[in-house]
Amino acid sequence: MRSVRNLFILGSSLGLITVLGCKKPEPTPEPPPATITKSEPPPAEVKTPTVDTTKPVDMSAAKYAEFQKAASAALKDINFDFDRSDIRDADKPKLQAIASFMKSFGSARIMIEGHCDERGTVEYNLALGDRRAFAAQNYLSGLGVNRDRMGTISYGKEKPKAMGQNEESFFINRRGEFKLQN
Amino acid sequence: MRRTLMGTLLLATGLALSGPRASAQPKPAGQAAPAKPGSQTEVTVDVRQGKLGLGLPKPLLATGAGLDADGVNSNFTEVLRRDLEDAGPFALLKDKLPATVEASTVKPWLDAGAEWVLSMKVAKTGEVVTVTLQVLDVKATAQGEGKQLRYAFSKNYSGNTSLLRRIAHTMADDLVDRLTGDRGIANTRIVFVRQMAPGIKELFQVDRDGANPIELTRYGSLTLSPTVAADGRLAYVTYKGGSPEIWGQKKPGIPHERLYPNSSAGAQGSCYAPVWSPDGKRLAFTQSDRRGNSDIVVLDVQTGRVRKLTDGGFINTEPSWNPAGTQIAFTSDREGGPQVYLMEEDGSNVRRLTVEGSYNASPAWSPNGAMIAYVSRFEGKFDLFVFKLGEGKAYQVTTGVASSESPAWSPDERRLVFSSNRGGSMQIWTTDLSGNTVKRLTEFNFCQSAKWTRSR
Repeated sequence: MRSVRNLFILGSSLGLITVLGCKKPEPTPEPPPATITKSEPPPAEVKTPTVDTTKPVDMSAAKYAEFQKAASAALKDINFDFDRSDIRDADKPKLQAIASFMKSFGSARIMIEGHCDERGTVEYNLALGDRRAFAAQNYLSGLGVNRDRMGTISYGKEKPKAMGQNEESFFINRRGEFKLQN
Repeated sequence: MRRTLMGTLLLATGLALSGPRASAQPKPAGQAAPAKPGSQTEVTVDVRQGKLGLGLPKPLLATGAGLDADGVNSNFTEVLRRDLEDAGPFALLKDKLPATVEASTVKPWLDAGAEWVLSMKVAKTGEVVTVTLQVLDVKATAQGEGKQLRYAFSKNYSGNTSLLRRIAHTMADDLVDRLTGDRGIANTRIVFVRQMAPGIKELFQVDRDGANPIELTRYGSLTLSPTVAADGRLAYVTYKGGSPEIWGQKKPGIPHERLYPNSSAGAQGSCYAPVWSPDGKRLAFTQSDRRGNSDIVVLDVQTGRVRKLTDGGFINTEPSWNPAGTQIAFTSDREGGPQVYLMEEDGSNVRRLTVEGSYNASPAWSPNGAMIAYVSRFEGKFDLFVFKLGEGKAYQVTTGVASSESPAWSPDERRLVFSSNRGGSMQIWTTDLSGNTVKRLTEFNFCQSAKWTRSR
């Protein structure tokens, strides 16, 4: 089921030049914001992405492998400082790579997961994870990736990646993860 | 788990918590049955610190009823003994005690220091077991020269044999009530989150003594943050549909359903931290917007209408109602790091509660409204504190052993249940307000977010 969908969506993005050509271009990049502290106008309602469903095209195994390879090369975790959601300078190249991937594969959709280390309360960390996921989404949006292609979700401190109780593990766990949705 | 001298000194800087609230203090032992001054029946109150000397001989089992003596002992007598020991106001007598309660043993009970002796008979008809309790008032009987047994309290309890433990809990609570005027907490349960596998958490409940674990959800997903209404209804967060939603019960005993997002509201983000209002009609919870900020909203569960209480582009979460349902304590980072704030139920009159420390969160308003428990980062660890509203001061409860989180009150307001990794993995513990009597409740793989209730 999933792989069929992968093939189909990828097919529509790689194979159907005419379809892509008719699609609305990506919006002009906004400057990447720093931190989000002020209230902003309500965001536009999220629409499901418009993908041409009328002309499924077979994707060759080679092209699918290329897509997967590009995804796993680009979708690397970024990290955050304690109780912060600022994008660190060290992670900006990673987000550039993700933005490039998203532009190269125009139908790719990602879910941005915000995670926290084990310190602090369950609920506050869930809220903090949302803020981290949004900070990443906002930065990518500033690099020209349409928000509609990037969902956000927080897992707070509920899904740690490293189990140690030391700063090394905490750093690994304070992260944004980018998961392919199609 | 005893507080070190250093811990005590730290507390002494204005942080020492006094004993339980005055109205909950057990009455002095002599008060249950005043002794004649100077008589030899005077008990050694100083040794027992004001506790009432209690004799608990084995209950008398009806013959021919098919009662299993071992089962009665483990599921009733020992349960009752532990409940009464944990309750606080009783000193259970242990050595050289008479085996029976009758006129001839009044004097030996008196000499052993007993003020009350529980005389119990257990009978069984079919699957229904009946326990007849008579509480011998030793002094009153002795003063009447022991010819007529005098009882402080008598009551019959009956139920299916599977409910023996609950009969013991109810009896213990009745005895605490009889002695102190406040209901005990033996017959209570604790609802919590248990990790089944990485990324998979479900709701469970156990009795106050850790017995009788019951699985409440089986979603195979991340399920978090239970809240229990006064009538026992659950609400919680589950990711089973992909994103975090509020699920729970609109009526007691019915299957769980999605409570929010619902069809009658507009744009709806992720939902966290639900908490039933004291009247059980509303749920306060946290909703994230698509800008990464979080606000506290209140859902009228019957109409499905929501009202947003906070607004301003910050994290606002962890709502906790006061017992009247007129105010809400919550956590916000509006001034930088997380701090505890209070507001009216309509979102007005926001004021900051916590002033010391850079990380204060997870407020829990006490059942009688005079205190708010919360978590504070203190010397690199997270500890439980209690803010006494009348004094405007905070008192430290747990001390630096490891992290302590998610405080919730016992129904009698004498203890807190919380999660802590002090034993290695994260487990559910309870503590009295002095932090001196810390007890582990769970021994599962990983547990968190406990709530303490009478109503399940």
